[in-house]
Amino acid sequence: MNRVAVTGLGIVSSIGHNVSEFKHSLKNGRCGIRSMEHDSSKVAASKILGALIHDFSFNDILEHYSEFDGALVSRLKACLKRATVGMKYAAVSAAEAWTSAGLKSENITPERIGIVVAGSNLSCALQYNLHNNFVTSPEYLSPSYALQFMDTDYVGTLSEVFNIKGEGFTVGGASASGNVGIIKACQLIRLKIVDVCLVIGSCADLSPMEIQGFVNLGGMGGNVFAEKPLEACRPFDKEHEGFIYGQASACLVLESIEHARTREAEILSYISGGAIALDANRLSTPCEDGEARAMTGALGEAGLKITDIDYINAHGTSTPLGDITEVNAIKKVFGSRTGEVWINSTKGLTGHCLYSAGVVEAIAVIIQMKENFLHPNLNLYTPIDNECRFCNRQIVEAEVRTALSNSFGFGGINTSVVIEKGEQPQERKR
Amino acid sequence: MTKEQIFELVKNSIREMVPEINTDNVRIEQSLRDLGVNSIDRMDIVIKCMEDLNLKIPLVEFGKVKNIAGIVELLYEKSTQ
Repeated sequence: MNRVAVTGLGIVSSIGHNVSEFKHSLKNGRCGIRSMEHDSSKVAASKILGALIHDFSFNDILEHYSEFDGALVSRLKACLKRATVGMKYAAVSAAEAWTSAGLKSENITPERIGIVVAGSNLSCALQYNLHNNFVTSPEYLSPSYALQFMDTDYVGTLSEVFNIKGEGFTVGGASASGNVGIIKACQLIRLKIVDVCLVIGSCADLSPMEIQGFVNLGGMGGNVFAEKPLEACRPFDKEHEGFIYGQASACLVLESIEHARTREAEILSYISGGAIALDANRLSTPCEDGEARAMTGALGEAGLKITDIDYINAHGTSTPLGDITEVNAIKKVFGSRTGEVWINSTKGLTGHCLYSAGVVEAIAVIIQMKENFLHPNLNLYTPIDNECRFCNRQIVEAEVRTALSNSFGFGGINTSVVIEKGEQPQERKR
Repeated sequence: MTKEQIFELVKNSIREMVPEINTDNVRIEQSLRDLGVNSIDRMDIVIKCMEDLNLKIPLVEFGKVKNIAGIVELLYEKSTQ
């Protein structure tokens, strides 16, 4: 299939408010998980851990961009003046990806740019916060709410900020939303519907009610390790006990290779294939067969074999059933090659970023490829499996050329994408 | 509250909803539309004023209003009833 170029990256996360900070955290195994003191007062559980975004200043970040693109900053200010914090994270990650790709609104045909916003139910916290006032005085509900409660407000707002006039929509795939977004954006480019497409993984800005839902479902970790937040997220370790909620918004600029080359943009990496495979299952239970079909499907679309893959950025949420199911699916796909493929899980550092996880982890893959390292599996002391080649608690120097990035969501939504290393500058000149 | 005080309250609401407008230059005979305020922000400004004055006025009544003076007049009238 036609590979799609990645030309821009942007992120706001608990371990970095931009790509450079995020890279530094990956290299140093810095984990963003802390005790959610304030919010846990509203949730019926002794303690809730989370990797939340702290110390984020929209205005300070805009100040930084005003050097590069003053017009963009003015539009960001005007369009987001009363936006939710989740929308601000999305806009800042998109602005970083946009500027790092060297895009300028005046140099690109707006009708040839698309936007895919990954994630659904993005206004949970907004609704929760408005609810008490609404019950007493419905008359005073801000009319802006009628725009904001629809997830497509992200599409509308960001399209106005970046002057995007091609196709745009939201996609949902639970915890696999980010990968679903990447896959759909690649399809838009391969079908020549657009030349450039922004994929935004939205921050899951959950209210206490959604947190309580996850607690009551028994999916959240942080019980045994409640007093040691940095040790609570342990993908593939025998003491794993559930996922830890993480916040991040992340953005990729995807582009047709021809378009990227014509404007002499640096190609950071390629998305070579991707697949979505359902389990025909509405529950939260993972399924080895569906996960294996997603990985096989992604490889097939990329026209690659298992021998081409050096590294898997696992879904690896740190839930006992999820982790072992993924290990078994990897063994099913990779067979005797299982022990040769490096595996780590970025969630050990970022927590589980839910809707944006696929985009966050694609960025982690691209950074690691570019810088020839693999980040630690921070809390991996006793692996649940001895055949898999898990990264241990230290950074690994490794040249990775081709990787799989997995994301699996509730409702049996399994996805995997193939990411290949970008061209070196000398290769580009040829 | 006097009409002058209500005009100040409207200007505060404009500043809060549309910070890029310098309300020092706003004149009472101007309309919010003249100031470049979009339709959603116009409604947000009016609702903020109602909330500040603890008034509940059907929004259709603001539909007949032509300018900021009209908003002030309507808020004043309802607040003195």
